[in-house]
Amino acid sequence: MFQNYINVALRNLFKHKLYSAINIIGLAVGLAACIMIMLFVRDELSYDKHWSNADSIYRLNTTFSPPGREPFVTVMAQGPTKAALKNYFPEEVGAVTRFNGMRVIMQKNNDIFSESLMWTDPETVDIFDFDVVAGDLRQTLNDNASLAINETFARKYFGDADPIGETVTLSVWSLKRDYRIGAVYKDLPHNTVLEFQGMAMIDETDFADQGWEFAEWFSVNNYVYFTLKDGASIETINSRLNAFADQHIQVPASVEGGKASDYVAYSTQPITRIQLDPAGARDGEMKPTGNMTTVLTFSAIAGLILLIACINFMNLATAKSTQRAREVALRKVLGAKRRQLVIQFLGESVLVALIGLVFGVVLVETLLPAFNDFVDKQLVFNYLDGMTLGILFGLIVIVGMLGGVYPALILSGFRPASVLKANKSAESSGSARLRSVLVVMQFAISIALIVSTGVVYGQKIYATNMDPGFNKDNLLVVRNTGRSGAVDKREAFKEQVKRLPGVTSAAFSSDSPSSGNESNSMVVIPEEEGERSELIGVYRVDYEFFDTYQIDFLAGRPYSRAHALDVMPNGFTAEEGALLQGNLIVNEAALRRFGFASPQSAIGRVVKSSVGNGRSAEFTIVGVVRDIKFQSLREKMRPEMYQLAEFGFSNLNVRFDGTATEIVSQIESIWKSMISTVPFGYDYVDEVMAREFRAEENQSILLAIFAGLAVVIACLGLYGLASFTAERRTKEIGIRKVMGATVFDIVRLLLWQFSKPVLLANLVAWPVAAYGMLSWLEGFPYRIDNWVLVPLCLLAGGIALAIAWATVGGNAARVARSNPIDALRYE
Amino acid sequence: MLKLHNLSKVYRTDEVETAALNSVNIEIESGEFVAIMGPSGCGKSTLLNIVGMLDTPSSGDYVFMGENVARYSEAKLSNIRKQNIGFIFQSFNLIDELSVEENIELALLYHNIPASERRARVERVMDKVGIAHRAKHMPSQLSGGQQQRVAVARAVVGDQAMILADEPTGNLDSAHGQEVMEMLQALNEEGTTIVMVTHSPAHADYARRTINLFDGHVVTENLRAAV
Ligand SMILES: Nc1ncnc2c1ncn2[C@@H]1O[C@H](COP(=O)(O)OP(=O)(O)O)[C@@H](O)[C@H]1O
Ligand SMILES: [Mg+2]
Repeated sequence: MFQNYINVALRNLFKHKLYSAINIIGLAVGLAACIMIMLFVRDELSYDKHWSNADSIYRLNTTFSPPGREPFVTVMAQGPTKAALKNYFPEEVGAVTRFNGMRVIMQKNNDIFSESLMWTDPETVDIFDFDVVAGDLRQTLNDNASLAINETFARKYFGDADPIGETVTLSVWSLKRDYRIGAVYKDLPHNTVLEFQGMAMIDETDFADQGWEFAEWFSVNNYVYFTLKDGASIETINSRLNAFADQHIQVPASVEGGKASDYVAYSTQPITRIQLDPAGARDGEMKPTGNMTTVLTFSAIAGLILLIACINFMNLATAKSTQRAREVALRKVLGAKRRQLVIQFLGESVLVALIGLVFGVVLVETLLPAFNDFVDKQLVFNYLDGMTLGILFGLIVIVGMLGGVYPALILSGFRPASVLKANKSAESSGSARLRSVLVVMQFAISIALIVSTGVVYGQKIYATNMDPGFNKDNLLVVRNTGRSGAVDKREAFKEQVKRLPGVTSAAFSSDSPSSGNESNSMVVIPEEEGERSELIGVYRVDYEFFDTYQIDFLAGRPYSRAHALDVMPNGFTAEEGALLQGNLIVNEAALRRFGFASPQSAIGRVVKSSVGNGRSAEFTIVGVVRDIKFQSLREKMRPEMYQLAEFGFSNLNVRFDGTATEIVSQIESIWKSMISTVPFGYDYVDEVMAREFRAEENQSILLAIFAGLAVVIACLGLYGLASFTAERRTKEIGIRKVMGATVFDIVRLLLWQFSKPVLLANLVAWPVAAYGMLSWLEGFPYRIDNWVLVPLCLLAGGIALAIAWATVGGNAARVARSNPIDALRYE
Repeated sequence: MLKLHNLSKVYRTDEVETAALNSVNIEIESGEFVAIMGPSGCGKSTLLNIVGMLDTPSSGDYVFMGENVARYSEAKLSNIRKQNIGFIFQSFNLIDELSVEENIELALLYHNIPASERRARVERVMDKVGIAHRAKHMPSQLSGGQQQRVAVARAVVGDQAMILADEPTGNLDSAHGQEVMEMLQALNEEGTTIVMVTHSPAHADYARRTINLFDGHVVTENLRAAV
């Protein structure tokens, strides 16, 4: 019996080569997509579950709610929270540790390098388990002159030699010390949100002059992780975090009333939730994290691709079921029960699914390296893993059932007498209708994916080509000019760079575009009665800044050496008790925030702002520039002021008009001839800004691939259906031709039959895609016009229709050209 | 109306050559009623297909209304055919998915005739063959005789000058067969040229002339004495 089923199944597969190929290819691609996405999702879900006490590790996040601005979540907290947490929650909090990453200058023998290292507390060893391969990690983290490094770092600098006991000199801020390599640990697994290549102990006295790093409550620079004591509840901590903030943080003097927790709020986050936290901050993690929306979206899309393949499976099976009616009838006459037939046909579809899976697995094996490159992971497909096997088994059963149940029920329901007598079976109109509905669904999915691809790609193009308010081309930023070792020589360096033939101008600034830094200062605006304070973003710039960036002035003038008052007063060096005065340039958003009517009317107005050392100065507004998108193209425009003050000048911005690479190498040789203890570093501004949208670029690529797959699989199915229909309609076509229909009439007839579902699919796809993409676009402050969706939808519909026509057109033309008497001769 | 001169048709399939028609010479006048008889496989259908321009001869000439159409292209033939020739088949060849009236209308669909006029003509011809009360039915709901009446209606709705019928009564019982024959006779009396293949001598008697085919040759032509 079973043997008979298998024989029939295999013979059927071979006999209907086209149908079998379509089914198997479609299922293989669909299953391969599902398997790869499954590997990806499982990896994303595995983050930080491997720590031995993963369930009790939490991180302290800080949310700032500056008056008048959107709150922003940072994934860090202030240095003093470490001790404060332990004291405030003695019953709940176990160990607390901080991670503070710093870029250091590392000197090894006579070579200098720039590297990122992590400063951390000794408790790190109690919270996280490291795989130590040499030395003693605990001892290392308890010594302020020892350094722990990972294996990659060890190999990079010490090759195969034993690094333990070797020394390197690290300098950062005013710290400069010889560090002994005390431990080497295995590289952290990829599936953790932690990432650093080396750790040094935090000795707060080393950073006494940089209070913001560890000592002060006004600056958040540390990732703060803590463990929850056994039996304690995180809820207890969460419910008292506001009180914790109120006790430790002073309400800013300029804000009247209110509590600290109105402005600064803490929250805790389990470490296992960081990777995919949908609500968390995007930036500031040690490395880019994943995103729950992406995971869900792409899982859903992979599922849809598989669904499209299953629909092919189902449609072709019902379509050709009429051809198998005789077999069914005979089996019934010979005594087969309906249940047996259902099992037989289900078995056949599971067999096809299984063959599809085999090819799918081959596809996964071939494509996984490329996919890994793309998602930047090292996913492995391990068949023998119980979970994987379970999922594969489940997929096969689901696919087999989806593809097999309906045809099995239809086929087994045939009445043998009518089938045998008529020697054919008129197909029920119900199954033809279902087929059309399913084709509509396939194309709706394909069209929606095409629209989404278009929107994501369009947004990426829009954002990267948007006018940021300054000229981002032919502009480069030389880094590290704020480093000790470079600071004293930077003015001379700038002068030499300016003298290079290809350089048109150069300017220092505290920040460069898309740096992700956030620096704000309170500004007091006098009003008719009393005064008002606003938090405004601050950049420090020099005289040539506006010229170098080519920023337009709406009113007033740039800073000039001819005006002594342009220089921002310095609260530390100014005479005691003197009235401090300066000039100020602000952007349009600041002007609106201040409540000034127009750029012209703002010129000459006076505002107050702090100038350090607890003192403040009166600033006369001398210039208003347009809103420049300096901070990030992903953020809303913020009110900003540009102070002329030589503070934190860590970037030299260079405008050039020659060949970029040549200019870079000339600048580099100037740097090397003047500054020997700080490495040369630079970026092109346009590249940095484009990098902000790399995620969207990758998403649009992935979407395009998925959309392509969806269309191809749907068209495979359409091709199968078209050839089936042509077969079924040969008689009709013959009659029509005898009646005088031309080849063109017939082609049009057949094309129209397949255009209908595609056109209907548009009606389903457009609203869904439009709704989805409009809500996606809402995440971008600067976004393409909503109306762009209209041409995109039409285009997607057109593409789908054209592809459908191309798919069925050849077949239709062949059928239309055939001689009608061949079709009519035999009955 | 038409004239076949030395007309031959050879089918080539995988090294086998079948001479279906061999130097056939036939002339048919306008308004004639001609029956074609002969054993199975002797080339009757082939002859009818060529006369109906559904197929082209391998050699020889076919002059239709003064034009030699033997080497015309498919498109050209199709154009002449749809103006002048109607078909009736043994197996009716109605489209199962279309209703009676839609099936009949099909013969006008490719003629650039406005819908209202198509409608009117279909009504008229349905009345004529007595199928009007079944206009909305599907072919599968009709008896064989009714289906063939629909086919007749379809063959004449375009006012075709000639009707080709390949064993129109072959699938019908004798009563229904008779009915169809009477309809054809009536059409002939109105002036339509009719060429009909049949196996039934009784039905051949409706024709004024019978052409006997054997193995691709015309063996005899009998003219029935006027009754
Ligand atoms: N399309 C074809 N290809 C090959 N042989 C054909 C074809 N059509 C008809 N024949 C052959 O030509 C001969 C005449 O066929 P046909 O005209 O159908 O005969 P009849 O209608 O008299 O029974 C037969 O031997 C038949 O097998
Ligand atoms: Mg025949």
